[in-house]
Amino acid sequence: MSREREKDLSGDFYAEVDAYQLVPNLSECLACGKCTGGCPVAALTPSYNPRQIIRDVATGNTDKLLESEEIWRCFWCAGCYMGCPVDIHFPLLMMELRYRAVARNRGLKYILPFKKFALRARQDGLTFVPSPKSRERIMELRRDMGVTPWPEISDKAKEEYAALFDLSGTTAWLEAIEMASAEPVRSTYSEGRITGE
Amino acid sequence: MSRARVVKPETLLPEAPEAIFLFRSCTGSLEYPGTENAIKEVMERLGVQVVMDPDQTCCSGYLLTCSAYLPPLSLAVTARNLALVERKNLDTYVFCNGCYGYNRELAHLLKSNPAYMDMANGLIEQWGYRYEGKTRIFHVQELYYRLRERIAEKVVRPLTGLRVGVHYGCHYVAQQYDILADGGYPTFHEEIIELLGGTPVFYRERQLCCGYSVGRGFTHKEDLVQPHLQRKFQSAQEEGVELMTTVCPGCNTALDREQPNLAARDMGEFNIPVIDLGQLIGLALGVPLKKLGFAANTIKLDPMLRKLGLEETS
Repeated sequence: MSREREKDLSGDFYAEVDAYQLVPNLSECLACGKCTGGCPVAALTPSYNPRQIIRDVATGNTDKLLESEEIWRCFWCAGCYMGCPVDIHFPLLMMELRYRAVARNRGLKYILPFKKFALRARQDGLTFVPSPKSRERIMELRRDMGVTPWPEISDKAKEEYAALFDLSGTTAWLEAIEMASAEPVRSTYSEGRITGE
Repeated sequence: MSRARVVKPETLLPEAPEAIFLFRSCTGSLEYPGTENAIKEVMERLGVQVVMDPDQTCCSGYLLTCSAYLPPLSLAVTARNLALVERKNLDTYVFCNGCYGYNRELAHLLKSNPAYMDMANGLIEQWGYRYEGKTRIFHVQELYYRLRERIAEKVVRPLTGLRVGVHYGCHYVAQQYDILADGGYPTFHEEIIELLGGTPVFYRERQLCCGYSVGRGFTHKEDLVQPHLQRKFQSAQEEGVELMTTVCPGCNTALDREQPNLAARDMGEFNIPVIDLGQLIGLALGVPLKKLGFAANTIKLDPMLRKLGLEETS
């Protein structure tokens, strides 16, 4: 990745990222680094740095973040949020950054595994519904325990759940995500170092 | 942190409830159906009525945090599910740290942002729902701890000599307020293990995340997630942990199902069975083994059960 330049910074980036206004207090960051010191991802992947990510959002270092692999590493343990002395909700910031990356067709390979998953959940009213083969095993297990073979979830629940997908724009949004339009991430982590394109 | 985060169970639940709304978890009723069943059996023995509702859907938080759902969807789904509970005039009890974190977080966003509340209620009012933010959201582990004396009185199969390592799971201890213990050094699971007659084991990485939340278990399995699991299990093995407990079916899936994959990649043979804390309480309270659904587990419990003088068939 090329050297950062001040002229590439965009002052409006924070407002763009926080489109849902979920993280209104980013400017209160003390840069204390507790988020990073306690982060299990940063422990194994030194290039992943929540404190740096907050700084990059605040200063508008747009391309670096949205076109990098780093924003896809967090697995949302929320330890950073727990430790933050000013209650910055870093996991929600991460979620919003990912929406912005997807809008630029970056990181689609991390969303696409969930597209089919999400569209199936839309039909079932449940998220983790296994394959037909595992379904048989589960139904047998549940029968053995003396409970209904399938969790009691009504048709009404499923219909309303699916309708909310459509009404909230989620169905259309998911259907528009296609691998064919994917742009590559520009920086990737390898052996503890950021490697260029 | 503008107010105290950790509260006593008696502050959180001044009166032990007579009835609870049990919020169905996808993983806890499909991947490990024994989890949901164990809670029902345990609550029956503790004299707490369990109410469920087939109109309740998934909490919809997981795929939101995978960035596969848009926030308006999850906000509306949360409002709909919680509106169902409010009609029954009950508090919501979840048994998955994921459902707990997502429901609490999304309910907080709805209650603190009138525009979101209006949007969500606007979407669900066509079916006659209205969320007002009255039902409180608890995790069943909080109720176990609140009722710990009642549990101790009802132990009929003491877990004598069983070395249990607990796993709290991030999405409970990472909550900001009104929780029983934060991520500093929680011990309330260990206290419950002691009351059941078992030996709690404090292994070094007991607070390390299972690594599976938010889909990184799917997309970064080998490079990012498995080294965490290896560290966790290695430290548990070094301390002689014979059984691990969770309070989140998601953590349970990661910790149980991934052990053969670690072995296949020469990252260690651990063979530590992983079950829900509710299943372990059920075991000590004499719930028939068949009703606890241990057959769903990848790492079998038979050696541990034999040690306790039990067989899978009993």
